[in-house]
Amino acid sequence: MIGAANKNVQLHPKRKMGFFKTLGRQYQLALMSVPMLLYVFLFNYFPMWGWLVSFEKFKPKQGALNSKWVGLENFEWLFGRADFINAIRNTLAMSVINLIFGTLSSILLAVLLNEVRSRFFKRTVQTVTYLPHFLSMVIVVGMAQNMFSADGTINNLLISAGIISPENKIFWLGEKTLFWPLVGVINIWKEVGWNSIIYISTMTSIDPTLYEAASIDGAGRFRRILHVTLPGIKSTFVVLLIMNIGHLMEAGFEIQYLMENALVKEYSQTIDVFSLRYGISSGEYGIATASGMFKSIVAIFLLFGANFIAKKLDEDTLI
Amino acid sequence: MRKLFAILLALAMLLSMTSFAIAEEPITVTVFRGDPGDQPTDDNKIYKMIEEEFGIKFEIEFLAGDLDETLGTKIAGEDYPDLFDGGNSAEKLINAGALIDLLPYISEEKTPNLYNHIKDLLPQLVNEDGELFIIPNYGINYNAQIQMACNGPAFFIQKQVLAWDNYPTIKTLDQYFDLIERFIAANPTNKDGVPYTGFAILCEDWRHFCLINPVQHLMGRPNDGEVVINVNSGNWETEVFITKDYAKPYYKKLNEEFKKGLISRDTFVMNYDQYIAALSSGTILGMFDQTWDFGSATAALETAGMYENTFCALPLVYDEHYGYGVIEEQYLNGAVPNKDRGFGISVNCEYPERMINLFENLLSDRWQKILQWGIEGEDYYVENGRMLMTQEQYNNRNDASWKMRNTAATIWESSPKKQGTQDDGNAWAPADQSENYFNLMSDYDKAFLSAYGYLKPADFFNAPCELAPYGEAWQIDKTPIQLDYNDFNAIQDKWLPIIIMSADDAEFEANWAAFQAEIAPCATVYEEYMQEEVLKLVEQATK
Repeated sequence: MIGAANKNVQLHPKRKMGFFKTLGRQYQLALMSVPMLLYVFLFNYFPMWGWLVSFEKFKPKQGALNSKWVGLENFEWLFGRADFINAIRNTLAMSVINLIFGTLSSILLAVLLNEVRSRFFKRTVQTVTYLPHFLSMVIVVGMAQNMFSADGTINNLLISAGIISPENKIFWLGEKTLFWPLVGVINIWKEVGWNSIIYISTMTSIDPTLYEAASIDGAGRFRRILHVTLPGIKSTFVVLLIMNIGHLMEAGFEIQYLMENALVKEYSQTIDVFSLRYGISSGEYGIATASGMFKSIVAIFLLFGANFIAKKLDEDTLI
Repeated sequence: MRKLFAILLALAMLLSMTSFAIAEEPITVTVFRGDPGDQPTDDNKIYKMIEEEFGIKFEIEFLAGDLDETLGTKIAGEDYPDLFDGGNSAEKLINAGALIDLLPYISEEKTPNLYNHIKDLLPQLVNEDGELFIIPNYGINYNAQIQMACNGPAFFIQKQVLAWDNYPTIKTLDQYFDLIERFIAANPTNKDGVPYTGFAILCEDWRHFCLINPVQHLMGRPNDGEVVINVNSGNWETEVFITKDYAKPYYKKLNEEFKKGLISRDTFVMNYDQYIAALSSGTILGMFDQTWDFGSATAALETAGMYENTFCALPLVYDEHYGYGVIEEQYLNGAVPNKDRGFGISVNCEYPERMINLFENLLSDRWQKILQWGIEGEDYYVENGRMLMTQEQYNNRNDASWKMRNTAATIWESSPKKQGTQDDGNAWAPADQSENYFNLMSDYDKAFLSAYGYLKPADFFNAPCELAPYGEAWQIDKTPIQLDYNDFNAIQDKWLPIIIMSADDAEFEANWAAFQAEIAPCATVYEEYMQEEVLKLVEQATK
């Protein structure tokens, strides 16, 4: 009882003093963080006042403060549009495809590389697989369009392998249902090496004695992977998963924008491309802002949701 | 006293200096061009002359990327250059209030050249409030209009295909595809073994006119965009043609050619660069397009000496058996002032008077000769009063890097200009001067035209008709119905390729019906809007 009262009496003033005291002691650190805070405020929070535009029939001539207020009309219009609903579906579908296959492929690559003994071979493969990350998406899409065209490499390979007949060439770039897999494959090719780096580095920090112990207990290569390597990267995996779920609404913009054509538009247009089309190209700034705002709000919910689930799983959390 | 005198003198000097500086102060003018291009060199001789005479230097920004997106970004940030050419989307600038009204600056006394340039066309050029934001960059002719070749829409075919069949006269859609079919059957590949493609259709973005525009021409009308207008009844009935029965046979024909393998599926996913590359390779035998749209491919073919792979423009119509009677082609139209295309002066420009003054002076005969022909003795010569060019001088005009050093093409193209014939009978444009045109044509083209007994490519066409009072309907601004117009275009972009790729007749019919059902609502909105606008324009022009 005495102890508890004591605590109350002491803690309250101490804490108040403590903050300023700490601040005073660490003022250099605080000063250093000011530019970052300013940056975040200026570029991330301050522009949010522009969300105002999503409730307006915005005309650049009149400005955000004088344009006609229309309430939720822009949102009503959006959700009455089949192509906006499609855009939400496409965004989520391509994100999920990227998330699942991107993560699986990079973990697989990391595990395989981790098992390679020859350092030279390991380094070479690592370099070769992560180099495409530095290519511009314009170049990657240009290459893909060449390879996947009717007379391109892929069709020719399939024909010479006897998988398809020359009369039934696959129309990779114009078949709408093939768009998502195509984007998935291209993204994996471009990013698999880069994404695996973090897993490889986590694996190198696993205590080697664990492997030795597992060997002594009679674990073979696969058992060691299953019981030592994979548990070793679990926390990294969860942190990355949470971050990626927060970005689920970002299915990418460049690849869909560049690979799009009228035939596949139904399956290719993401929310970002949709906003660009209506906002910038057609001058419907209100509608575009509304769609962008919708995207941000969903993303916030996703992030908190993922963080909440991670907490329940008793893993590392971000927030 | 001496001191006072000195002060007075200094003051006087200062005053005279400032007044001098206001009149002739050298300025740098920022310029935006709504199409891609190359920067002129620093030692460019024509820009040097402009700088010496007017004290004006240009800082030019060319379009990189998508036009609508670029303009949308500039409008949202009110980031306007002094001289603003919005290209094919200049209406956006006008609607956003980015440009100033030019009429208050133009008068008979102060700017006689500009005044005379537009005075007859003014009713057509101004908007409903009587304002004029852009003086058309093309289409205002002096004296006789000269038409050497078709610069606009037509069906195109490689010259070697016509030569192979001994120069036949091709007038109809069926004749055209029949010839291409026979040629491909006889010559499946070119001499390097690359297979020929019979017919290409560019479907990308705003250039999709290659896909959606041909029907009106097949019915014997010049280019009105997506509508056919009855010019004879006096009521100017305006109808969207893609929803009408007479549109179907064209796509049916394309479907048949697709099934025969003349049209590749890749054509529907091609972007503009890939299209130009394909044309430049010389393996595409035919397409519907507009001459200016593939100029770089023509230039590339000519530079490579592949004259037989360059294209001949043909004015095709439906055959009689389609049931629309014998149709007389009318591809060439009277000169159309290129309404709302060219330089506007932005609201951010600090010296609109000097810009108007620049246009006024550049429109003088002396400057028009310098801008279009160059410097006498260097870029052309005069013989018996005729302005002529040597082969080298003529070739220079087609040499991109020479142009960057020796012409002010970038400014000239977007500025008001004189076209047609000079008072002394010479053509305003070097390419329109008949002696230059024939003498300096390639030997292949000379032989090709002679085989037909023609003197110029335009001889394949009927003479231009008189321009309708509404101009050409594709020029009408669609921003008031932007969202419906977007849908109208998107539905055509999506369905027409599917229709052309139909596997059999039943599928074709089903696709066509589904297409019609989907497009009907926005087509109606578009049709009603266009009807209203056409009537307004006719009323304005006949007022």
